[in-house]
Amino acid sequence: MSPLSRRQLLRATTGAAALTAAGPLLTACGTAQGDALDPTAKPDLDGVTLKILANQPNALSFHYLAGPFEEATGAKLKVTPVPYDKLTSKATLDVQSGAGQFDVFMYWYAAVGTLAQGGVIEDLTAYIRAHKDIEESDFLPSLYDTYTRWDGKRWGLPYDGDTHILFYNTELFERHKVEPPKTWDDYQHIAEKITKDAKGKYYGTIIEAQQVPVILGCDFANRLAGYGGTFLDQGGSGTPTLTSPEAIAAAQALFDAAPHALPSPLQIGFDQATPAFLDGKGAMLDFWTDFAKRAEDPKQSKVVGKWGVTTLPVGGDNTKPRTSLDAGFGLAVSTASKQKEAAAAFIKWATAAQQNLLVLGKPDAGADPIRTSTLNADAFKKASPDSYDVVRTGLAGDPLPWPTVPKSPQLLQGLVDELALGLQGKQSAKKALENTQRAWLTTLKKT
Amino acid sequence: MSAAGIGARRRRRAGLTVLLGLIALATVVPVLYVVSLSLRSRDDVLNGGLLPSRVFWRNWPDAFGAIDLGRYMANSWTVAAGSVVLTLLIAVPGAYFTARAGRSGGRLAALVLSSYSAPPVVAILPLFFLLRNLQLNNTVAGLALVDGLANVPVAIWLLDGFVRRVPREIEEAAWLDGLGAWAGLRRIVLPLIAPGVAAAALICFFLSYNEFLFALSFAQDSTAQTLPVALSLFQGDKNVEFGQQAVVSLVGIAPVYVLAVAAQRWLVAGLSSGAVK
Amino acid sequence: MSRASHVPRFRVPRALAAPSVVFLLVFAAYPLVYLIGLAFTSSTLAQPLRRWTGFDNFHSALESQSFSGSLWRSVVFAVAAACVQLVLGTALALLLRARAARPGLLGTVLLLPLVTPPVMVGVAWKLLLAPVGGALNGALHEFGLPGVNPLGGSTGAFVTLIVIDSWQWTPFVMLLAYAALLGVPDELREAAALDGAGRVRTLRSVVLPYIEPTLLSVLTLKLVIGFKVFDIVYVVTAGGPGFSTTTSTYDIQRTALQEFDVGSAAAATVLFSLIIGLVVSVVALRRKRHEEVAV
Repeated sequence: MSPLSRRQLLRATTGAAALTAAGPLLTACGTAQGDALDPTAKPDLDGVTLKILANQPNALSFHYLAGPFEEATGAKLKVTPVPYDKLTSKATLDVQSGAGQFDVFMYWYAAVGTLAQGGVIEDLTAYIRAHKDIEESDFLPSLYDTYTRWDGKRWGLPYDGDTHILFYNTELFERHKVEPPKTWDDYQHIAEKITKDAKGKYYGTIIEAQQVPVILGCDFANRLAGYGGTFLDQGGSGTPTLTSPEAIAAAQALFDAAPHALPSPLQIGFDQATPAFLDGKGAMLDFWTDFAKRAEDPKQSKVVGKWGVTTLPVGGDNTKPRTSLDAGFGLAVSTASKQKEAAAAFIKWATAAQQNLLVLGKPDAGADPIRTSTLNADAFKKASPDSYDVVRTGLAGDPLPWPTVPKSPQLLQGLVDELALGLQGKQSAKKALENTQRAWLTTLKKT
Repeated sequence: MSAAGIGARRRRRAGLTVLLGLIALATVVPVLYVVSLSLRSRDDVLNGGLLPSRVFWRNWPDAFGAIDLGRYMANSWTVAAGSVVLTLLIAVPGAYFTARAGRSGGRLAALVLSSYSAPPVVAILPLFFLLRNLQLNNTVAGLALVDGLANVPVAIWLLDGFVRRVPREIEEAAWLDGLGAWAGLRRIVLPLIAPGVAAAALICFFLSYNEFLFALSFAQDSTAQTLPVALSLFQGDKNVEFGQQAVVSLVGIAPVYVLAVAAQRWLVAGLSSGAVK
Repeated sequence: MSRASHVPRFRVPRALAAPSVVFLLVFAAYPLVYLIGLAFTSSTLAQPLRRWTGFDNFHSALESQSFSGSLWRSVVFAVAAACVQLVLGTALALLLRARAARPGLLGTVLLLPLVTPPVMVGVAWKLLLAPVGGALNGALHEFGLPGVNPLGGSTGAFVTLIVIDSWQWTPFVMLLAYAALLGVPDELREAAALDGAGRVRTLRSVVLPYIEPTLLSVLTLKLVIGFKVFDIVYVVTAGGPGFSTTTSTYDIQRTALQEFDVGSAAAATVLFSLIIGLVVSVVALRRKRHEEVAV
């Protein structure tokens, strides 16, 4: 080969490479979207395979639904679980890149605005209006709008109504002669007393406060709910209300309790909190309702029969038990799906009362009620004898919604960053929340 | 050498063996701890000891029931092997160029190494478009492509030193004999740097096998997901099944450990034949 | 260095560089162009390149308390980890080499951390170090010693990450240093011994200088790898407590994939890459000077 032709070859190769590189760059700006959803179409589901992106802890619930769904419609489900903290980015990348691998996205409700504004999930307003058998009025009023509404439209249907309840170790409570806490002051008192008396053998409470929204955010939200506060006014879409007396009291309660908790809250995530409770190392833990099934499993737990649950404590002027909508998921149709009508049909079916009851009966499905009828159903009571009353009180009441605006992921990360600095002793509760309030106002102003 | 000298030497060697043995033992504690975790139930995970308080075998069958381990492993091996082939196809001629082409070689080396410096997170978006255009999204081939490209800098960096060790005169002689530069590379240089290529291949294999960010981003479902993604699924649960996670890790890394043991002689011999410059 | 004049000038065909050039275009240039595009626009994960915003993203990246502090932490982490691993790895390699000319089973066992998945490495260490119920404190308790909580404090958590990273990467340095040691000609050692040089002096004046190019080279690569540390931060500390272990890659990842502010993440990546370039070029310069001396 002569030098000249080698140079040409080189040039040709680089040229080709440049083209491969430039091609996708140019197409990058427009997302490939399927045709719009036809709200009144009657899709033939027989032989269809629907691909679902699911939150890992709930993935099993779809396996329980797959059989009945195929029986009813002839359609198959293919479920891909992802870790909870990858759910939103995975869905967004799937649509944004034009990959379009999924028909149905399970989404964390706090990201509903992010996904809707990003064009990742389909507007279901017309579909829901056209299908009266969805029985909208049966969805729990405490979560229906929060889970599905943004910008005056509906973007999905609720699937898993997660809340926290307070687990406590009855044996340790008896040994130290304390009663389940009614207020966050009681909680503080119990945590201090047990931790002091136990001299490092075990601790009065477990606070998981790793610096991610779904962990540290819950600690704050649970207290904020108890004190009767809010994140944003107007039901989670207005201006931040983090410098309210309730919010500051909530953060203060968290900071006060941390020194008396299993060391050390900032480094503890789910992974250490739950084994510690199951091993009897902590007397209290606020956690998701399905943890009850773990606590009662002798293969996994040393505290079988030695634990109880109660509603999250209250504080300040508020005396009515109130829970917080910690985590919680809906189902939505991907804008990149090529079978949107089928996907919508599945969502309608999966969120119906019968299916909700089916998964509520499975101990490992990680499911919680989303409808008034299922929350009150005997079947649910039978499946969750220990936690039934407490879960019911929370969801039937007026729980605290987390922000659902498009900037919500940024807001929540900012909040837990400031709280973490406070827990570290670097700033007061008031200062932490003032900083957060300022940051939230700035973030919300930018669009 | 005197008998006393040999004795002293033996004693010194034995001493070194004991010392290194202790260090090796300390090194494997975390690995043995994973073995111990695989035999613990959830309430026993934080029992304050290195051993399970009671052996809990259930994690083993449960882990195999929880995920399709065979699938993940097959994907991991295919991705790692495929990526190594691609890496070498680019890096062998590349390293030859960086080692031999004087100033332009140096420039290429600098560019390649600096391309390795940038954190890859933001590159995910453009690479995603690339894979989509090549229709390699969510495929083992696509992942092998990305991993293979990602490891090119490491491979060039390793191989450069090997090429430099090959005496120029040998090539020049071959060149005089009428062998073209390409043929020279293939027939003269490549055999000489083969141990180095093997060592680079192994290191890139390990890197690909454990790669997480790309695997998580570009493999949407179990058809292309690799072992580290499977491990992250355990970590992404509200109730982390440490025992099962440990089982999956152990089963996943066992073949790689075996590979490392089996190939260690190559690895060391290869690397020493061209001690990196 | 005068090459025999009858040999035609040795020319390396440029085509050999072609695959690497293609690699650079696809894997470096194209993402770089895109990255710069993102850095100067308002971009979310779902809607990249929305509109030109000038240097806004750079401002917000530098103003964010998590990122600006992370730059410094990343530099300290990368440099400290690389140095610790270089020293330990070389020491281990010297011991191995002094023992035998083949690494043997011991050498392989010492390599195992390198091939263990980082996610599992993080999980295992985190549980080992757990203040309550972790094996370390269990052992301390056995001996009647007070417990420790290395991950609880700022410095402790940062040092712990360096320890974990070193556990995983020291074998890499050891492997390459050992290979280089095998290349030290026996004549050199013997000559030094004949000159009456003791073991330490032989090491300092003969062995280490001989393998120095390898070591500098390993140092460079390890610096870059240290700057990119992510998995163990994610699993072990999640950047905490506070921002004590929030390195730049962790922060960039968080901004891009948790907060979806891809524009700021891109600007942060650009700034961070400049810092990496600065630190790495210091070492590279030294390497170059060394090469020139050697020639």
